[in-house]
Formats: sequence, C-alpha cells, structure tokens
Amino acid sequence: MSARDVVIVEGLRTPFAKAGTQLKKIHPAELGRHALRELIAKTNLDVNLVDEVIIGNTGNPVDAVNISRVVALNAGIPQKTSAYTVHRNCASALESISQGFEKIKSGTMDVILAGGTESMSQMPTLLPTKIQNTFDQLFAAKAPAQKIALLWQLFKGDISQIKALLTGNMRSEYFPVISVMKGLTDPFAGINMGQTAEILAKEFGLSRETQDQFALESHQKAVAANKSGRLKDEIANYTLPTDYKLTMGEDTGPRDGQTMEALAKLKPFFDKLTGTITAGNSCPITDGAAMLLMMSREKADSLGYKPLAKIRSYGFAGLEPERMGLGPVYSTPVALKRAGLSMKDIGLVELNEAFAAQVLSCLKAMDSDEFGKNKLGLSGKVGSVDPKIVNVNGGAIAIGHPVGATGTRIVTTLAKEMKKRNVQFGLATLCIGGGQGGSMILESEA
Amino acid sequence: MSQDLGLKLVPREVAGVGSVCFFEMDLTGEKVNKLSTPVMMKMRELLQEVARNSQYKALVFVSKKPKIFIAGADIDEIKKLDTPAKFAEAVGQGQSIFNIIEDLPIPTFASIHGACAGGGCELILACDYRISSDDSSTRIGLPETMLGILPGFGGCVRLPRVVGLQAALDVILAGKLLNAKKANKIGLTDRMVHQNLLEAHTVRFIQEIFKDGGKKRKKTFKPQGLVAGLLEGPLRFVVFNAAKKGVLKATNGHYPAPLKALEVIKKTYKMSDRTQALEIEKNGFCEVAVTDISKSLIHVFDLTEMVKKQTGVPGVEVTPMEVKGLGILGAGTMGGGIAYVAADKGIKVRVKDLNTEALAKAYKHARDLWQKLAKKKVIDQYQLTQKVSLISGGTDYADFKTLDVVVEAIVEDMGIKQKVIGETATQMKSDALIVTNTSSLSVTEMAKGHPRPENFAGMHFFNPVHKMPLVEIIRGEKTSDKTIATIFELTKKMGKMPVVVKDGPGFLVNRLLLPYMAEAAFLLQEGMDIKTVDHYYVKEFGMPMGPFALMDEVGLDVCIKVLKIFKKAFGERVDLAPCMVALESTGRLGKKNRKGFYHYDDKDYRGEVDVSIYEALGLKTPTNPYDSKECIERGVFAMINECARAFYDDKIVELPHEVDLAMIMGTGFPPFRGGLLKYADKITAQYVATQLADYSSKRNAGKRLEPSEALKKVKTFYS
Repeated sequence: MSARDVVIVEGLRTPFAKAGTQLKKIHPAELGRHALRELIAKTNLDVNLVDEVIIGNTGNPVDAVNISRVVALNAGIPQKTSAYTVHRNCASALESISQGFEKIKSGTMDVILAGGTESMSQMPTLLPTKIQNTFDQLFAAKAPAQKIALLWQLFKGDISQIKALLTGNMRSEYFPVISVMKGLTDPFAGINMGQTAEILAKEFGLSRETQDQFALESHQKAVAANKSGRLKDEIANYTLPTDYKLTMGEDTGPRDGQTMEALAKLKPFFDKLTGTITAGNSCPITDGAAMLLMMSREKADSLGYKPLAKIRSYGFAGLEPERMGLGPVYSTPVALKRAGLSMKDIGLVELNEAFAAQVLSCLKAMDSDEFGKNKLGLSGKVGSVDPKIVNVNGGAIAIGHPVGATGTRIVTTLAKEMKKRNVQFGLATLCIGGGQGGSMILESEA
Repeated sequence: MSQDLGLKLVPREVAGVGSVCFFEMDLTGEKVNKLSTPVMMKMRELLQEVARNSQYKALVFVSKKPKIFIAGADIDEIKKLDTPAKFAEAVGQGQSIFNIIEDLPIPTFASIHGACAGGGCELILACDYRISSDDSSTRIGLPETMLGILPGFGGCVRLPRVVGLQAALDVILAGKLLNAKKANKIGLTDRMVHQNLLEAHTVRFIQEIFKDGGKKRKKTFKPQGLVAGLLEGPLRFVVFNAAKKGVLKATNGHYPAPLKALEVIKKTYKMSDRTQALEIEKNGFCEVAVTDISKSLIHVFDLTEMVKKQTGVPGVEVTPMEVKGLGILGAGTMGGGIAYVAADKGIKVRVKDLNTEALAKAYKHARDLWQKLAKKKVIDQYQLTQKVSLISGGTDYADFKTLDVVVEAIVEDMGIKQKVIGETATQMKSDALIVTNTSSLSVTEMAKGHPRPENFAGMHFFNPVHKMPLVEIIRGEKTSDKTIATIFELTKKMGKMPVVVKDGPGFLVNRLLLPYMAEAAFLLQEGMDIKTVDHYYVKEFGMPMGPFALMDEVGLDVCIKVLKIFKKAFGERVDLAPCMVALESTGRLGKKNRKGFYHYDDKDYRGEVDVSIYEALGLKTPTNPYDSKECIERGVFAMINECARAFYDDKIVELPHEVDLAMIMGTGFPPFRGGLLKYADKITAQYVATQLADYSSKRNAGKRLEPSEALKKVKTFYS
C-alpha cells in the first residue's frame, strides 16, 4: 500500500482542572465522552464514517476497563465501529495519534478519532495487600469457624490500618495503596517522578529561581492565551453533569496573579533538605480529556474539510528511568530523522511541562554537542531551541497534565498555533514516566 | 380438523421428564396473539387433546411472536356484545377453558416473553408455574378496569391467591401492567431470566419440578410477618376500605369498574368454591360491561389503536424519513421537555440556545426525570448514563449538518422565528426538516422564512411535554406529504399521539379550549366562585383540573394574548370578560410566577384559591348564582360549538375521532365520556344548540354563546 498524507482535521478538549477540584466527581469516560461528542458536533462529522476510536488512558477505571469503547458508544459512535484503549503512560494520547497515523498512512483506514482521557481525582485508593489477602481467603472460606477467624483478622487489620493512617506510617504494610502516588513512582528505579526531576535539576545545575521563573512564565503565557481567546479555540464549554450549575469554558490552573514571591514561599516537595522542585514549578495532577479527528488527505478533501495540519512523523525512544524527564531529547532526533528534517526547520515547539527543571534540562541537553555525542550517538547536538518558540500558550505547569490526555492536548495546541502563526514545521514532545520520550512533527497545511 | 389459526401442540422430549407438550401461539395473519372466540374455541379443542393424551407429562404455553405473549381479549369482539346475556356467555366460555388448564392432571407452565395482558395474564394464572424473560417488552397485568370492565376469566379470583390481597388490588384497580422485575417481586412469576435463556431455563424449570415428583400445585400466597398476616386475614377489611378510598379519590366516582372489581374480590377472596367464585366474577363483569362508560373507554382505546395504524397522510404512499438526530432551537421549558422525550426513546438530541444557563437547565430537567425513573428502578444506572449522553448542546450550529429534523421552540414572535428558521435551514442538509412548536402563530406564514417551505411543518407539543401525550402536527399550505409522514412517525417514535391538523388560529386543541376558558371568566364575572366552578368541572364532569387551575397552568398572560389573537381572527364571537381584561394589569401570570387564581407553594404545588383576586379584578364577593349544570354546560358547550365550526367550516381535522383523541390526550377531557364529540352525540347536538341559544339570551352573551350555523346542521358528529 502506498504511503498517504495524514491530516489533523480538528482537535477539541474539555477544560482542565486540578485533581480534587471542579471535575473530581466526573468519571473519565464522561470527560472523554464530552470531548469526543463536542468534536463530532463541531466538525459535523457523519459518525458512520469513523473507522476506529483510539483513546489513551492510564488510570484504567475498573468499571470501564476498555474506556475507549465506553467513551465511543456514549459519544454516539455506532456499535459496529471498533474502539480500543492505549497506555504509554504520559504519552498515551500521543500513542493513540501515532497508531492512528500508521493506520491511515498505510491505507488501512481513512477516519480515526484519537485522544485521551484521565481523571486523576478518581484513581482509587486500594486496600493494603495484607487486608486484601484476608478478603480473598474469606471469599474462599467455607467453614463457619474459619470465616469467623478471618473476620476477626479483618477487624484486627482494620485497627492496624487506622493506626498506620493516624501515625502517618506509609511504610506500614497496612497503609492503604493510593494508586495515583504509586503510578507516579517509577517501578524500576523506585523513585517518584519529582525525584527524577530533582536529579536533573542537580545534574544540569538549575537553580530554584530559574525554575520558578519558568513556572511564572508558563502561567503568564496561559493567562494571556485565555484572555486573547487562543486557548478557547481548543476547549469545548462543559456544563458539569454533577449538578448542572457550573459551565466551564477555561482551564482553572493558570493563575493571573502568580508572582515569584508566591512561588518562592513554597517548600521543596520531593527532597525537603536540598531540593528545588516545588508544587509551584511542577505540573499539578489534573482531570481532563482531549480528542482529535484525523483523516487521510483524500478523505478530508472529499468531505470538504480544511485540515489544521499534516502529521509528518513521530518517534519514541527510551532512556534511564531515573532520568525520564530527558525523554524528548532522545525521541526528537528519531522523529526528525523520519521526517527528513533538522531542528532548524522547527518553528514552534510544545514540550510538555512535567517539571520546570525537566523542560529546562531538555533544552540544555538538546543544545549540547557533548550530550548528543555521548548519550545519543549523534555527530553533535540535537539542535538548539529558541525558548521563545516553546510552549507559547503556556504549558502543563499552568494548564495541568491529565496524564492520559496530554499528548492530544499538546498536538492540538501545536496544530492550531502553527496555523495562526503560519509556521511550517512544529514539534510536540513529552517525557514519559518509566524512562521514555515521545515526539511528533507536524507540517502546516496553509 | 379446522384450520389451526396459528395455535399448535408441539411435543418435545425432555430428559428426565419425558414428552412435554409445548402449546405454541403464533396467530396467523395477526401482529399479536389475542383471545378471540375462534382462538378460544381452538384452545379448548387443543386442551382437550392434551387431556386425552396420557403421553404428555407437562404442558408449556409459549408465544412465537417477537414481543407479545398474549395481548388480551379481542376488543373488537367485546364491542359487538350488547346484552348482559351475550357477555355472560362469552365470559363463561373463557372461564371454563381456563378451568380446563387448571384441572389438567399434569403440571402446567407459562414461559412468558413480551406483553402478557388481560386474558393473557389470566391464562398464566391458571397455570401452575410461571417463568418470564426480564426484557423491557415483558409486561404483565390486568388492565381491564382501564376499559371499564374487570378481569372476567378468573383474574379477580386467582390473582389474589397467587400474589396476596394487597398486591392483587394494586394490579387490578390501577389496571397498569407490571414490568418483569415487579411481577417477579410480587410473586406473579416464579422465575425471571434473560430472554435468550428463557427456553433453556423453562426446560430446566420443568426438569426441577419433575425431580421433586412433578406435582401440580395451587400456589397460595403466604403473608410474611404478623402485620401482613393480619391484613391478609382478619383485618382485611382495612385493606378493602383503604383501596375503596383510593379508587374514589383517583376517579371521583366516575369509573364504576374498579369499584366493582373490588366488590368481586371482597366477596370471592378465600372462597373455596371455585364455581361460585367465578359466577360472582362473571356477574360483576356483565354489570359493568354493558355500561356506556365501558363503551366510551373502549372507544378511547380504539382511538389510540387507530393512530398506531395511521401514517398521517391517508391514501398517499410515502416513505417517512428515519429520524436519528433531532435538533432543538431554544432550551426553554418546551425545548427541554422535547429533548427529554426524544432522548428517552434513543434519538440523538442537539439543543441550541444563546444562553448557556438555559442549556444547563434543559440538561438538568432531563437528567432529573431519568434519575426519578432510576430511583424507581424503571431504568438502571447504565441506561441512565446512555440516555443522559444522548443530549448535548451549544450556542452555535455545531452538529446541525448531521440532524434530520429540528424543532424550533424559541420566542413566540413571527419575525424572529422566520429569521431563525431561514438561518437554520442554511446550516442543515437540504432534505432535513424544520418544525415549529408554536402554539399561536400561523405555520403557513412562518414557512415563508424557510427556503424550502415543503420541508416545514408545525409540531405542537403540550406542557409538560413528558406528561402530555398529544402532539398536533400542523400542515402548512406548502408542507409536503413526506414531511407530514416523517413527523407523524417521529411523534410515534417519541411515544406520543400525533393528530394532523390544518393551519388556523389555535390549531385544534387551543381553539376549542380558549372559548371554554373565556366562558369560565364570564362565570366569574357573573358572581361564581373560582373554587366552586373548578370543583364542578373536576368532581362532576371529570376534567383533570378546572378551567381556572388550567389557566394558571397555561399562564394567564398567554391566555389573554391568545384570546386577543382569536378576537382578531374570529371577531365578535370571541369576547373577554371585564375581569380578564382587568387581570392583565395585575401582574398575575399564574403558576409560573406563583401568582394566579390560586396560591402556589415554593415547590409549585397548587394550594387554595387566592381570595384577594376578587378585589384585584374589581369583583364583588361571589354569590354563586348558577347551579353546576349551567356552569358545566356553558363551558363544555362553548367547546362543542367552536368544534362544529372548526370541523365543518374550516375542516381543521378530517375525522371526529381525531377531535376526541386530541381532546383526551391534549386536555385530559374525561375518557369515560369517550371524547368531546362522542359526548356531544350522546346528549345530541340539538340539545347543545338549544341550551346555547337559551344561555345566549338569558345571560346576555350575544354571539359568544350563540349556536353556530354548523352546529345547528349537525345530526351526529360520528356517522
């Protein structure tokens, strides 16, 4: 089959909100449904044309294990249409687009809805393993005496659990498992994502102030983009189905009055003694969903759509899990090579802001010949990036990072902004927990 | 042997049991299984064959129709019966046939999927064991009292024994069908399984019964606990008294059938002699079956059946367009109500309103209604999510190119509506339709705003949309047959009753209702008390609410506005009582601002009459100069008078049936009177004309109550 052009017709998302706030009671399938339904509405899409729905998600809610299918059916996609969920941690929603890209490019499919959804609020708190085991035995037990003994054990377990909670003894085998915390802990290196950023901050010599300054600018850019209506373009108004009292049209993260003083007051969260990473210069855990309509160019043309951009290439690469934040430095050369481009050609960059330290480290590493040679086996540096073209509408530090949805958010933002600025090539890239990076290169359709 | 009519005995070997006889029902040439005389005769013949054949170890009743077990008796046959003797004969036949089932020496089973109503329910009650599917189409019950009769094939006798007195009274007196879950809960069925497993589980059920010896049984209800035991036993008079009170409250004594059913159950409950008990039931049945009320209720049933067969375009062959996506312009009370009704039936809905808060209210309105259903376990949480997901909205025309029909429900202003309709048409597919939910503006005039007026019609819902079953479909001058047929089918899909009417002020229902409300105002003007007039209409005539309560409900400003439109259109015969004119400046809008003829509490429930209104309208203290006869006749006859004009002069509808259906479904006109024109025929048009002439001169009403030329010519409305 011949290689074909793959275009992004439109992208749309829910407003993002910090976990535990406005969207906390809303199921991730419902977040996804809203984004997908509104994308279909905005594009007046005939749902019968959709070949497949691919949605990224990391929380994997137990009542919607293939959440993509639930989102698709509730958004009005016909039952005949296949739908599946992908998981590549922070890049799950970039993975969904990449798979869509391959399927359309190869000629297998013509119309794909790709995206991601995440409710980090709704990631469950699990029973401690000790108590879980007792439950398992209880369900299997037959003799009444055995049952009573196990119930007594459960009771004792509960007491131990309460004790662990009261004393804050997280190492106790009776401490409940908070899955969002577990998910943010690297299963290989055994350290938290924040701690991986601390490593980078120290290795790349990034001061607290530099990081805070970066965070401040992220807020300022996002606030400006909200005011100018640039972000509005990618957000579908959402009347929250909890009580229908609030209609959200904007992300709640960006702070208009954010100051260096306020940021400076925050205590390091991950390394309390020598650290520089605070809640203020990291992205917040977030709820939200984002969806994208992609087609073959022929299909888009025949249906009369005016696409936002064309996907040139994508690339994923791995590195040391404890330095996962540098992922973009590794994956970007892969994508550039596939596109036959170099960093100089890139006019606009979306580099996901997991941590200010992590973004700044990436920019430094990309600009380093030594890093390029030693770590990537290239002849020199990946390429220097003008900070002015990075995250022009703010990034995840201000807007938020709903893990399974961010990939689609940054690709959408990039595609729309490239069109507005008339930029020919753009790069969207993220670091991935577990030690990977993902990059995608778009080309303007103008 | 005579032809099999679609009933047959199919023997089948069941392991561990032997030969089991399946009594398959699939009436030839009929959509549903129903118990007509030939079917009953055939059933007797087959049952006798079963009784003779000692090979059969068990008998199972099954239906081969997709969503019907047995719909009930053949209503057309009941209509033809006129004397008590004929009724007695028919009922006696049925009883004896079901007795055969009960008396068979082998265990009998009913395997139920789909509607099982009336005689169908009585058949399964005569069986020993009952198993049903849990499908939403499986609805079991005894709706006879809705038709003014009572269960006559042993239902009054057997149901209380199977499910207990209290549950039986609930089923029989309300005449509502139970869903599978409820039927199982009260013990009407023994088991309930998914429809695809029904056959396997029926076989399994039989095997289990035979493992235990294959006995017949007489299921008798055993009350749980002391209180229930007392209420089913020595204290059952308490239950009967409460039930009687409930019936009287719900029917105002206009419906004799539930009371008669209650009496029959009271006499036969725990009676050991079956023959005597069935005799009592038969006599009770014959007493109510010959009444006019039963005839009227059967007429109303016929009207609803008539609609099921209609297409909206008699004599024209057109294929209606399938409506998968419905748009709604305007998220107000009507728009929100329409969104709910459509999405409830699985139609995708897109609402557009300039105001985000209005949209939010519409979403909430629908969700709250579904949540109530979920609380009552009518739908589950998954269905709730799916239904809620079907409604979306926005402030722009997003999604409109995918929609098949758009209902316009914006402000009642011709200019604005025409403009918006024109604009909307450019945002839709060229073959998509736009309909207006206007209640007072001309559809033909409005169609001028649409670039393709053939794709435009009226679709008039009544408030509150989720409760009112009527939809008036208004044919504009240029409306195409395909448009009418599509909207007619859509209305049915939405679970509503469509009536196609011609364009004209007030269309049909409001045109008839307005003179009635106007007349009530004159009664008030002439010294009648608000509460008294409403009381007469409700308690004596049987309306669901009196004219003053109705005006509050509709909105007093709307009533006055529409009356003025009518005055312009119809001239002298429309008149506003001085108190109506005075009402305009009082700021009373009725229920919507909780200020009207009545007081309203903060939950919008109607309380007592607001007596301050008499003074506010410049009226003296009411003296109630007229009796109930005059009060009722002046209002109801004003409607009949206007109806004669609408029907004969303006040909707003084609059949008197349509008037009756519209009035019952749109205004709650008492069903036991058979509808406005059935009622007029009964008291005769001549009497109506004479009385009107009398009131016109006596009460100085002039043209307002003068009998129309059309009315004077009427012999009967129904031919």
